[in-house]
Amino acid sequence: MEQNFIKPPVEVRYADQLRALEENDTGRKPENWRLSPKAVRTFILGGKAGDMDIPRKFYGNDALVERCIITLAGSRGLMLVGEPGTAKTMLSELLSAACCGVSTNTVQGTAGTTEDMIKYSWNYALLLSKGPCREALVPSPLLIGMEKGVFARFEEITRTPAEIQDSLISVMSDQILNIPELGDEGLVLAKPGFNIIGTANTRDKGVNEMSGALKRRFNFETVEPIADVRLEKEIIIREAENMAKAGHIDCPVDTDVAELLAVTYHELREGKTAEGTIVEKPAAVMSTAEAVSVFYQTISHSWYYGDGRADLRVLTQNLLGAVCKENKDDLEKLKAYFRTSVNEKAKRNGGAWKAYSETAALLR
Amino acid sequence: MEGLFRDSRIAEIAGAAGQLLRYDPLGKLLLFPVRHHSPVCAFQLRRAVEEFSPTVILIEGPENANELIPVLTDEQTELPAAIYYYYKDKKKLVSEDGEDYKCYYPFLLSSPEYNAIAEGAKRGIPARFIDLPYCEILINTAQSKGLRKAADKHSYTDDSRLVRSKFYSRLCEKTGMRSFEEFWEKYFEIEGLKLTPGEFCENMHTYCVLTRNDEDPAELEADGTLARERHMALRIKEALDSGEKVLVVTGGLHSLGLARLLHEGKFKAEKLHRIPADQQGCFPTAYSYQAADALHGYASGMMCPGFYDGITTRLEKGDDPGNVYNDACLELLIRTARESSKKDIPVSIADITSAQSVMTGLAALRNVSQTGLAEVMDGVTSAFIKGEKNLSSSMPLAIMQRIATGEGVGRIGDKSHVPPLVADFEKQCESFRLKYQIGVPMESDVALFGGGKGLALSRFFHRMEYLKTGFCKLAKGPDLHHGRDRSRVHELWTYRRTPNVDAALIDRTTDGFTIEEACTTAATRVLADRRRCADGAHTAINCFLMGIALDKNQLALLEDAVTNDGDFFSVGEGLRCFGRLYDLRKLYEFEDSSSLEYMNRCMAKLISSLPAMANTPSDKADEVVSILKIMFSLTGGVLAMWRDSLEDALLTMAGAKDKEPTVYGAVMGLLYAIEAERRTDAENAMRGYLSGSSEVRKQGADYLRGLFSTAGDIVLADDSFLHLTDSLLTGFGTEDFMEILPSMRLAFSYFTPSEIQEIAGVAAALHGAKEKDVLDGDMIDEGLYDFGRKLDSLITAQLEGGEQF
Repeated sequence: MEQNFIKPPVEVRYADQLRALEENDTGRKPENWRLSPKAVRTFILGGKAGDMDIPRKFYGNDALVERCIITLAGSRGLMLVGEPGTAKTMLSELLSAACCGVSTNTVQGTAGTTEDMIKYSWNYALLLSKGPCREALVPSPLLIGMEKGVFARFEEITRTPAEIQDSLISVMSDQILNIPELGDEGLVLAKPGFNIIGTANTRDKGVNEMSGALKRRFNFETVEPIADVRLEKEIIIREAENMAKAGHIDCPVDTDVAELLAVTYHELREGKTAEGTIVEKPAAVMSTAEAVSVFYQTISHSWYYGDGRADLRVLTQNLLGAVCKENKDDLEKLKAYFRTSVNEKAKRNGGAWKAYSETAALLR
Repeated sequence: MEGLFRDSRIAEIAGAAGQLLRYDPLGKLLLFPVRHHSPVCAFQLRRAVEEFSPTVILIEGPENANELIPVLTDEQTELPAAIYYYYKDKKKLVSEDGEDYKCYYPFLLSSPEYNAIAEGAKRGIPARFIDLPYCEILINTAQSKGLRKAADKHSYTDDSRLVRSKFYSRLCEKTGMRSFEEFWEKYFEIEGLKLTPGEFCENMHTYCVLTRNDEDPAELEADGTLARERHMALRIKEALDSGEKVLVVTGGLHSLGLARLLHEGKFKAEKLHRIPADQQGCFPTAYSYQAADALHGYASGMMCPGFYDGITTRLEKGDDPGNVYNDACLELLIRTARESSKKDIPVSIADITSAQSVMTGLAALRNVSQTGLAEVMDGVTSAFIKGEKNLSSSMPLAIMQRIATGEGVGRIGDKSHVPPLVADFEKQCESFRLKYQIGVPMESDVALFGGGKGLALSRFFHRMEYLKTGFCKLAKGPDLHHGRDRSRVHELWTYRRTPNVDAALIDRTTDGFTIEEACTTAATRVLADRRRCADGAHTAINCFLMGIALDKNQLALLEDAVTNDGDFFSVGEGLRCFGRLYDLRKLYEFEDSSSLEYMNRCMAKLISSLPAMANTPSDKADEVVSILKIMFSLTGGVLAMWRDSLEDALLTMAGAKDKEPTVYGAVMGLLYAIEAERRTDAENAMRGYLSGSSEVRKQGADYLRGLFSTAGDIVLADDSFLHLTDSLLTGFGTEDFMEILPSMRLAFSYFTPSEIQEIAGVAAALHGAKEKDVLDGDMIDEGLYDFGRKLDSLITAQLEGGEQF
C-alpha cells in the first residue's frame, strides 16, 4: 500500500511497528486506546518492541511528548503550538495513530471552516426524501471521534474564525453533542478514548486568537525548533532520503551539502553563527521542514537535469526562493549571512564551504 | 533500582579496598557517602547512626572550624546557616599574587553533614571536621582549579563532579533523563527512601565508584582532592587507632579514595603551615535559600533547597516516606497556583486538577513511585501555561521555581562568634544611636556642617553604601559625583538592617576587620582595576565622602591613572571631580592637598590635547565645550598659571583648518572673554558661515550655540551679533529653519529670562515691531482657531490623497 500513495497515513506506514508494540504491550491502557502510554512513548521516541527496533520519529523534547501522551489520557484536549515547520502535525498524527490506530480523523481549519464542518451536516437528498434521520446525517470528524472513542485532530485551529472555534467548547466541557433535529435520538455522548488534538501556528498571518474559554479546555504544548544543528542535519538527510525514495530518485544523499543547509538554517533561525557573530534573522520561516524541502528540490534537480550530484549553485538558488518569499529585506539578510558566516567558514574549512561561498553571486 | 547498579565492575575497580565500603553495623568503620543537601542522604544517615551507634562522627569539612560545630546545633540557630572561611595569602603560599580567599560551607535542614552533627549532639556522640584547614586546601590546589576557580563566591560543598561525569552522561542516554537533577531525584531521592541504610549505601557507593573511576588522577591532584583525602584518611586512622567506632560522612566521590588509602595504610601526613591568626579564620553566618540554590548560588548542591528542606521536615515529623514527595509536590502545585492568581495569572481548580493528573500520569509513565519536582514542572507547563510558551506566559514556572528555592534566611543563635565587620557595624550604629535592630525602614536627617557627629554619621552611611551592603540609601543631599544639589547642607538617609546586610558585611571580611579598613581595601581595588582618570577621580570623591584619606598606595595608583590616561574626556571628568574636591575640602573638614596636584596634572594633559579637539565629532562637541568651560573657569582662579597656555591652545584651535562649529563657537567665545578686542574675530567667523552654502549656513546655528555657551554677553554688548543672527534666521526657508531650530533653542537657553526679554525687544525693533507687540499678541477667537485647525487638517488629508471634500 505504501508504494501506491504519496504519503500513506502513519498507521499504514508504521503498521508493522504498531503491531509489534501491541503484541508486546504489557502496560495499562486507558480505555479504548490501542497502546499503553509507555508503548506510545516507545513508538514516538524509539526503543524496542520484542525483537523489533522501533526508530525514533520525533526529535527534540522527550518530556513534551510524555506530557502530550498523559494529557490525552486525561479529560483535557491537547493543543500543540509553535512556529511553522516544527513537526506539530507529524506529532499529532503519531499520537493519534499510536493511541487510537487512526490518524485521519481530521478537521482542517481554514478561514472558511464552518460550524457544520466541525459538528455535523446533512445529505440533503436523503434529508428531503426521509426527513431528519441518522441515515441523512453526515458526521464530522468530531462526531466520529465521539461515537467511536478515538481522537479528532483539528489542524490549524487558529485559522478558523474565533466564533467557529468556540463551537468546540460545549463538546469539550460536557462530552456531549446535541443534534436537535433527531429529537430523542439526537444526544451523542462521547465514548471513552475520545479527545481532541489541535495544532496552531504562532507566527503566520491570518491567525485568530483563541478565546479564554476554549484555552481553558486545552493543555498547551509549545513545540520548539530543533536546537541541535547535528540533529537537524540528520533529520534533513533522513527525510530527504525518504522523499527521494518515494519519488523514485535513486541517488546518494550528499551529507556535506546537508550540513551546509542545516548550519545555514540553524544560524539564520538563531540569529547567531557558531563563531558568535550576530546575524539578522530573516522574516521568513526557517524551519527544518523548509530545509528538507530545499534539499529535496536540489536532489531532484540534480537527478533530472544534472549528473546526480547535488549542485551548490542550485542549492543556493533554491535557498533564495525559500527565504526571500514575502519580505524584500530578507535578500539583504541572506547576502549579509554569506558575506560574514559563509565566507568565514570557507576560509577556515575550505571544501564544500568554499564552493558554497562562491555561489553568493546568485543571490540577487 | 531497575538493575542499573548491578555491575561486577565495582568490585573490579575498588579491589581489596572495596571491603571498606561495605555497610557493616557491627564493624569499626562506616564510610557513609552523601550528596550535599540531599534529603534522602540525611534520612538514611540518621537511620545509619541509629544502626551503627558510632562513638565518634567524622565529617568532611575544614577542621579549623571544629569549635563552631556547637553553634550550628544551638537552640537559637535557624538554618540555612553557613561557616564562612577566609584566608589572606600574605605569605604568598598559594600564589605570588598574595590574594585574599574566602568560601562558604552552607548547612540546610537537608544537609547530611548537619544531620550528622545534630544526631551526634542528640546522642552525645562527638562530631568533628576532618578536612584540611581552608588555607591548606588552597595551598594544595592548582590555579583555576577547585576552590581557586575564578568565581565571585565559592562553596566548599561543590559536587559538580557528580553532575558532569561521563558515567552520568551514559546513564542519561540509557534512562532517557533530561538532566542530572531529574536522574538523581528519580533514582536516589524518591526510590532511595524505600531502601534500608545498607542498600542505600551500596547504591551510593556504586554510583560514586563508577563516577570516580572516570576521573583523571592528575586532575584530582590538581584540585586538591587527593591531598584532602590523605588528610582525612589520617584523621580517620587516628580515630580508629584510638579504639573509636567511627562513622565517616563525606561526599560520595571521596569514599573510594579514602578506602584505598586506609586499606594501604601508608600515607604521608600533609605538611601544615603556620598561619598567623589575623590571616585566616572562620565564623558562622546566616545564609539564604537563594544562595544555597545551585541555580542562583555558587553552582553546588541541589536545586530548589527550600523544597527539599520541606521533604526533610516532613520525614522528621514522621510522614510516610512512601508518600512524602506526592504530598510535597501537591502542596508546591497549590502554592504555585495561589501565587500565580495573586499576580493576575488565572489558574482554576480545574487547572490544578489537570496538572495533578499530568504529574501522576507522568510519574507512572516514567516508572517513578512518587511525583517529584520534574513532574511538578511538567504539570505546571502543561496545565498552567496557556498559549505559546514564552517569557511572559512562563510566569507560573518562574513562580514555582521561586517557591521551590525557598525564601527564608537563617539566624545564628550563639552571639559569641560575631564576624568582625558585623561587630564593628553594630558598634558604630550604637555610637550614632541608630535604631538598627528593629528591622523596619528608618530615616535619619544628617546636618553636615552643624558640628557634632553629623559629618561622621554621613561618612558612616557613605561607607556602608560604598560596601554595597544595602543598609542605607541617600534620599536627599548633595551629589558630588554629578555636581548636583551642592548647596544642600543636610543629607536625608533611609536605613534598615536586614539579614542581607550582615551577609554583605561578612562577604567583605577579607577586605578588613573594620568598616573603614574594608572601604579602604575596596577603594584600592577599584583604583587598581580601573586605570582611567575619571574612575580614579570618582573613587577619590567616594573616599572624600567616606572621610578616608588616600594612603600612599592609593595615591600612587591614582597618579598612575592620571598620568597614563590618554582619553581627553576621562581627564576632563577627572579635572571636574578634583576641582570639586578642592573647593569643598575645608567645608567637609577633609584636608588633602593631593587634589590640587591632580588638577595641575589634568590641566597639563588637557591643554596639550586641546588643539586636536578642534574637529571633534559633533556628538562629542558638547562634552568638549563643557571641559573648555571648566578649564577656563579654573584658570581664572586656583590654576591661574595655566591661563596663558590655555589661550595659546585656544588660538591654535581657532586657527585649525577643520573645525566643529559648536567647539569653534565656544573657543571664539572664550578668546573674546580673555580679550574683548577679539569680538571682531568672532563676528567675522559668523559672517563666514553666513556667506556659505545652505549647509554651511546651517552650521552657523551650531557656531552660535557654542559662542553663546561661553560668552553670552557678546550679544548684549551691542546689537551687531543680533543683526548677524537675524540675517541667519531670515535667510532660511521653512524646512531649513525647522532643521536648525533645536540648535537655536539651545543657543538661547544660555541666557537668563531678563536677557531674553531684552534680546527679544531688540529683535522686534529690527522688524519694525515693539517689544510689547512681541510679548502681548492679540487674543485669537477660540472658535476661529478651531476652525483653522480643522481646515488645516482637511487640507493636509487631501494633499496626502486621503479624505476628499
